[in-house]
Amino acid sequence: MIGIIGHYAIVLAFLAAVLSTLFYWRISNSMNSRLEPVAKWVFFAKAWFTLIASGILVHLLFEHAFQYYYVFNYTSKDLQPKYIWASFYSGQEGSLLLWILFSSLVGWGLIRWTEPMYKAPVMTFMSLTQVFLLSMLLGVELFGNTYGASPFRLLREHLPNAPIFMSNPDFIPADGSGLNDLLRSPWIIIHPPVLFLGFAMMTVPFAFALAAVWKKQFREWVRPALPWALAANVFLLTAIFLGGYWAYVTLSFGGYWAWDPVENASLVPWLVGTAGIHTMLIQRKRDTGVVSSIVFAVLAYVLIVYSTFLTRSGVLGESSVHSFVDLGLYNQLLAFMLTMLGLGFGMILWRLREMPSVTKDAPILSRDFMAFTASMTLFLLGFVLIVGTSSPILGRLFVDNPTPPNIEFYNNWSLPFGVVIATLTVIGQWVWWRRTETFDDLATRILLPLIMASVVTVAAVIFFEIRNISYMVLLLSANFGLFGNGQILIGLLRKNPKLIGGSISHLGFAALMIGFLGAGFDKALLDQETSEYNLAVAAGQVTGSDGFPVMQTIEMVELRQNEPKLLGERYMVTYIEAKITNRNRPGEQEYTLKIEDIKAGSQPFFMTPTAYPMIANANAGNITWTVDPEVRTGLFSDIYVYVAGSSHVERERERMSGVQEIALSDSTKIKTFLLKKDQSLQVDGYEVTFKNFEMVDLSTFAPNTTIAVRAILDVRTLATDSTITIKPLFSIIRQDSLALTQSVPMLFGNAGHEVQFVNVNPSSGEIELIIGGANRIIEPEWVLLTIERKPLVAVVWLGTFLLMLGFSIAIFRRWRETKGYEKNEATT
Amino acid sequence: MKPRLIIGLVLLVGFTSLLMLNFSSSIDTYVNFEQAESAFGRRYVIGTWEKDLPIGFDMTSKSFYFHMKDEAGNVRKVMYNKAKPANFEDADQLVVKGKLQGNVFYSDDMLVKCPSKYNDPKVIS
Repeated sequence: MIGIIGHYAIVLAFLAAVLSTLFYWRISNSMNSRLEPVAKWVFFAKAWFTLIASGILVHLLFEHAFQYYYVFNYTSKDLQPKYIWASFYSGQEGSLLLWILFSSLVGWGLIRWTEPMYKAPVMTFMSLTQVFLLSMLLGVELFGNTYGASPFRLLREHLPNAPIFMSNPDFIPADGSGLNDLLRSPWIIIHPPVLFLGFAMMTVPFAFALAAVWKKQFREWVRPALPWALAANVFLLTAIFLGGYWAYVTLSFGGYWAWDPVENASLVPWLVGTAGIHTMLIQRKRDTGVVSSIVFAVLAYVLIVYSTFLTRSGVLGESSVHSFVDLGLYNQLLAFMLTMLGLGFGMILWRLREMPSVTKDAPILSRDFMAFTASMTLFLLGFVLIVGTSSPILGRLFVDNPTPPNIEFYNNWSLPFGVVIATLTVIGQWVWWRRTETFDDLATRILLPLIMASVVTVAAVIFFEIRNISYMVLLLSANFGLFGNGQILIGLLRKNPKLIGGSISHLGFAALMIGFLGAGFDKALLDQETSEYNLAVAAGQVTGSDGFPVMQTIEMVELRQNEPKLLGERYMVTYIEAKITNRNRPGEQEYTLKIEDIKAGSQPFFMTPTAYPMIANANAGNITWTVDPEVRTGLFSDIYVYVAGSSHVERERERMSGVQEIALSDSTKIKTFLLKKDQSLQVDGYEVTFKNFEMVDLSTFAPNTTIAVRAILDVRTLATDSTITIKPLFSIIRQDSLALTQSVPMLFGNAGHEVQFVNVNPSSGEIELIIGGANRIIEPEWVLLTIERKPLVAVVWLGTFLLMLGFSIAIFRRWRETKGYEKNEATT
Repeated sequence: MKPRLIIGLVLLVGFTSLLMLNFSSSIDTYVNFEQAESAFGRRYVIGTWEKDLPIGFDMTSKSFYFHMKDEAGNVRKVMYNKAKPANFEDADQLVVKGKLQGNVFYSDDMLVKCPSKYNDPKVIS
């Protein structure tokens, strides 16, 4: 019932967005400011209806209203509240709703802060994007087509042909199918909101640019739009970082970046947005960069919509791990993208002749030329990546049914870009701040950082045995970027610390390049035997049982409990123990590994990777285990490890899927023993010695207990020569005239053996023991590890933080500038 | 036309041609197991997991193995030299990259495609 209100709230929000677009369009055309309050309130109505719909969705999620498809599909009763919040945006519909919510907030900011000249046209475009986004949540049927997927549709509407609804239309599932176990991670709480806030903010430069084109105010828009563009970039960058960090530390993807289309889809708008920021910086006072600023602002947003199209339309189906399945939104997404593209570039072409253009070429060593080069370089890198990412579409030009490009495509193209950009940052910054206008002047200025970079690079090449020429070049340019920008930063700090945003960002970029270089030296840590085997495989010298040469190398290490192995010729790794901790989720196991760095000779350290059953995803009798990597972050290199399998996992899986061996009822596996004091028995690699009786205090037992006694048994594991003492209990309870014996089985050892103390002979002093689980083959405990050394990951994070910091400082500066400018305008 | 604009355009055209040339050689087309047999190099095969055939972990080669049916209906054993991907059982489609040798497909890259982002609404109990 309440879902219908939510549904209508979305329909009303959609209508409000349409009205708001029309009103603002009318105001922009006629400059009729009397309509302005109306338009404003219509936009706010859109925001309120969206908020109401979101509130209802959250309410339904917390109420476990499983008759709703969205609630059923993304939550379950066992879900912790924080993940119920996260499930709001775990699916397509909810994440679109979140995007619209943030857009409303951004729209409110625009209404509040935008100067009258731009307000109405900017809000026209802002509202127009909302029309498209809201249309995707409508779930309304018109002329036989359904438009949009409502988050409030019922399960029976989603699956009308399911047998259960045929027989019982009122069926409500008792529990939901639950949020995927992989998503139950704190990172899901933060990553999507930051991303969508970035998306929402990216709309602002787009709307401003188009407003500028429409109103022929080609230059002034940059001042108010710049802080928004910078903020959008910071949020997008933060989201990219969070996604990478999430993939690295909690998903076993093996690294922070995999050139996955979905990852690229957020990186490319960032690159193009950054390109736009560079041209925006030069065009405020001059005519250069007017056209390119507008083009980049439009393009960055079109790319956001394009990436939304790629990830949500099902186009990427086969090429990405985390794209959505098409919800029937393909056509609407395509219409959204084509409209934004057509509108944006159509308008630019329409006014192109009227836009100011440069009359003479800027000299190479000028701010204008340097900033323009920077933009073009960033744009071209974005272009390369979007070509690769669009392989399901573009690839059809060359082959049917195209696969994604191989990783080398991305690596080989981005490396030279890294070299060029890192080098340009220094030259560009000198030209920007010091007006270095001749090449001689420039040469003297960059001499010192160049010498320092060369020295450090040569030292690193020798010390770290870098043999790859392109890595050497990247390292040299990144070092040049570090020293060059560092020098500029120090100079600026002395003069005017408010201006350091740019040089900190550029420093961050150089650091990022050094960190990325580290990824070229990732090394799986293997024992010597495996390494030699892999070398032989690579040389084609190993023949498999099928007579063919073996092609696959071994990437994992098997460790037996308490048997240390030397891995990667450097780390002595010992598997100490595994225990079930249930810490973050039921059944979670923690493995303790002791690692000694032989080369550094430092103190041994412990790492505790975990593994857990994915209960939320399990179908009957079929439980998947997943792994949670453990990362030990170091300044120079990380140690990355996850458990790929273990004897514990195998046992737990058997137990959970119900193929548990019932020891005591299975007569073939039971043995009965009689033991006198200090006598021993041997079974399955254990030696059990009866040491003595232990009397127990009868008052702690039920009042009708007549006898209670424990046997003290020493159980020695023959393989490890370790002894534990267990004390099984034997008791007799008198009930009426009957004497009932009671003996609780006790577990011992690692293989699930049980001992039961079932009788005692008072005259001989003999005890009778039943040992269950006997005849099992005792295997030593083992664990399979994927363990890698990943150099310079910390430097990647450092570079990212510097970029964020630099951009944030710039936002602060540009915001104050905008406000200051407005004040000046008002007073003069 | 200004000379710098012409140089820029020429560079841009050259860059794009080079990019598309390299792009076209970096992509491949999906094949089935039979085509993979005669193919040179590592290929992509799309298919589904054959649930009734043996699946497990081979401790000697440290590989996860299972059987996959490709889109043409051919079934082959797949040896994957990494840990079993999470969500493997939930996948409604698998993409493996590797080489066929004899009757075994040796893969070092696998993509697990799950319905509806990650969750499967088909199971209503």
